[in-house]
Amino acid sequence: MALSIEPETPRKSSSVEFPIPDLGRTARIVGRVGNVDPQQLPHPQNMRGELGKALFNWMHSTISPDPLARVAFERHAADKNNVIRTTLMKAPKGQISPERVPVDDPAAMTRHIKRVARHLGADVIRIARSHPSFMYGGNPTDGLTTMGGDRPDGTPEDLVRRFPFVIVASKAWDYKLMQAHRHHIGDAAYDFTLERGNLLHSSIAGYVQDLGYHVLRGAMNPQAAALAAGAGELGRNGLIISEKFGPRIHLTDVIMTDLPLLPDKPIDLGVEDFCKVCRKCAVTCPTNSISFEGKQTYNGVEKYKIKWETCYKLRPYTVQYWAQCLTCATVCPYTKPNTWWRDLAIKSLQLTPIPLRPVVVRGLKWLDDRFWGTLPNKRVRWLDYDSGIKPGEKACTVAGCTASHGESQTTQAAGGSIGYYFPLKENTNRFTNRV
Amino acid sequence: MRFPWTREADPYWDAFIQRDPFHPDNQVNNAIRAWPDGSVFPVKKDVHSPDVMSGHIKELARFLGAGITGIVRLPEGSEHPFGIVCAFQAEDDPAQARGHGGQAPVQNGLFVTFNLGAVIREMGYRATTKILVDAVQFAAAAGLGRLDGDGRLVTAQFGRKVHVADVVHTDLPLAPDGEAPA
Repeated sequence: MALSIEPETPRKSSSVEFPIPDLGRTARIVGRVGNVDPQQLPHPQNMRGELGKALFNWMHSTISPDPLARVAFERHAADKNNVIRTTLMKAPKGQISPERVPVDDPAAMTRHIKRVARHLGADVIRIARSHPSFMYGGNPTDGLTTMGGDRPDGTPEDLVRRFPFVIVASKAWDYKLMQAHRHHIGDAAYDFTLERGNLLHSSIAGYVQDLGYHVLRGAMNPQAAALAAGAGELGRNGLIISEKFGPRIHLTDVIMTDLPLLPDKPIDLGVEDFCKVCRKCAVTCPTNSISFEGKQTYNGVEKYKIKWETCYKLRPYTVQYWAQCLTCATVCPYTKPNTWWRDLAIKSLQLTPIPLRPVVVRGLKWLDDRFWGTLPNKRVRWLDYDSGIKPGEKACTVAGCTASHGESQTTQAAGGSIGYYFPLKENTNRFTNRV
Repeated sequence: MRFPWTREADPYWDAFIQRDPFHPDNQVNNAIRAWPDGSVFPVKKDVHSPDVMSGHIKELARFLGAGITGIVRLPEGSEHPFGIVCAFQAEDDPAQARGHGGQAPVQNGLFVTFNLGAVIREMGYRATTKILVDAVQFAAAAGLGRLDGDGRLVTAQFGRKVHVADVVHTDLPLAPDGEAPA
């Protein structure tokens, strides 16, 4: 999720040594950028109880009723030994090989690292050049963005000099399962991919150490690095929208390194033009957290900014039914299966001169509404889950089953292709009014 | 001359596949394998039928990244009645290729079996990967493929380029595809 928090100390964004980084068309540094203190991110704030009792209890005292969620989402686990994230966080850190592999050609090493990442399971892999304005202003100690690594001493500038390159690698969520947003099915797609991504980052970092180079994790804002690396563009929904997968990618962490690499450049997917017209995420966001307005300048960066407080505050109310809302990612027109017609649509937008793009966007938006609906609500059946059954009700999900299931499951799930969604939008004005 | 569709030479690739890590903790495989099993959730989840549950377990394994999955019934007297066997495509034999790349199928296997075991425990049934058995024999018994003259598994999907992960032993009611060797 896009989370913009109060910066620690505003800093000059440009200098001879560190010129203003290019983040593409969707985000632009226009002023002094402060390094965000990771202790002020939502989860650490919540862990300290600063977001209210309901959210504090949600984080500390809630066990999910869903077995998959208890395995994939450590916040609601019954036993954290059943969560692979715990293993990765507590795994020994490894050591840097004293025999450094010489890199004569950074381009060849870059090709190699990208091939390595794909071999290890990455769906998106790009390289950025580090910049002090991307750095966090402290050491995350809550284990959410780092795997137990301690940040070395030094100013952001010092760390950028020591770790001049950033490896941005990501996994994509399963397209079919994430159609069941606001459901345990969508949660599974989201959370297991997150765990897979953590494993991927640990593997890449371990390999770089084997090559004899240093790595630093959990020290940088992954979104800024992803924009600079061209992993995607920043959408109105505050998510990085990637070329092949749209917003259905995880950006939990990036790997800073001193391994000589060749940085990529930001890309233009037409997100800037699309988000101006579309607003589908803003219309459907159940907590009204996504703005209908234009970009804002926040912490020296001109971008779309979501209201994370309202997005976050919904969670305790829905934990029995789902953990992650995901509606803004699911409804985004860029979220489509990775097919030739998706590539064609994006390519057509890229090839259109910028002044003419609004016309193409309106056509693509019309197609999206026509074929996928203004609020995608496809019914998804997976394992014994069925997003067509109203959460809280029990029904047999086995096709053709006529057996009696006693009192616990009394009915056969009805047919149809429409998933069940709570009419949340009508009931969530409280989230708008309170902030 | 290089054709546009051919890959440029990668001088580091062989080492990535073959070379032992400088330090074993640079791979997380050992940490995952050594991690203790979590506890079993006190409330058992309803099981529609062993057939349906077997389908769900195989589908879950596929979602987590398994190539092919089978179920065997363990010999009478075993602590757990069933074993779940997952096989993965492996371009290089992990027994020979000790590098990060060569061990990638092992890592995939550990990710899948860790999570499968954890999900089953969270459903209220026992599950563990800590019981060491000849997983290749179990895979053949589960019908994932056949053993060749060298005792290696040959599958229809991946041929000989296959890695079999640790077997998940469980008491979750399942419909076996075969009988495990005694």
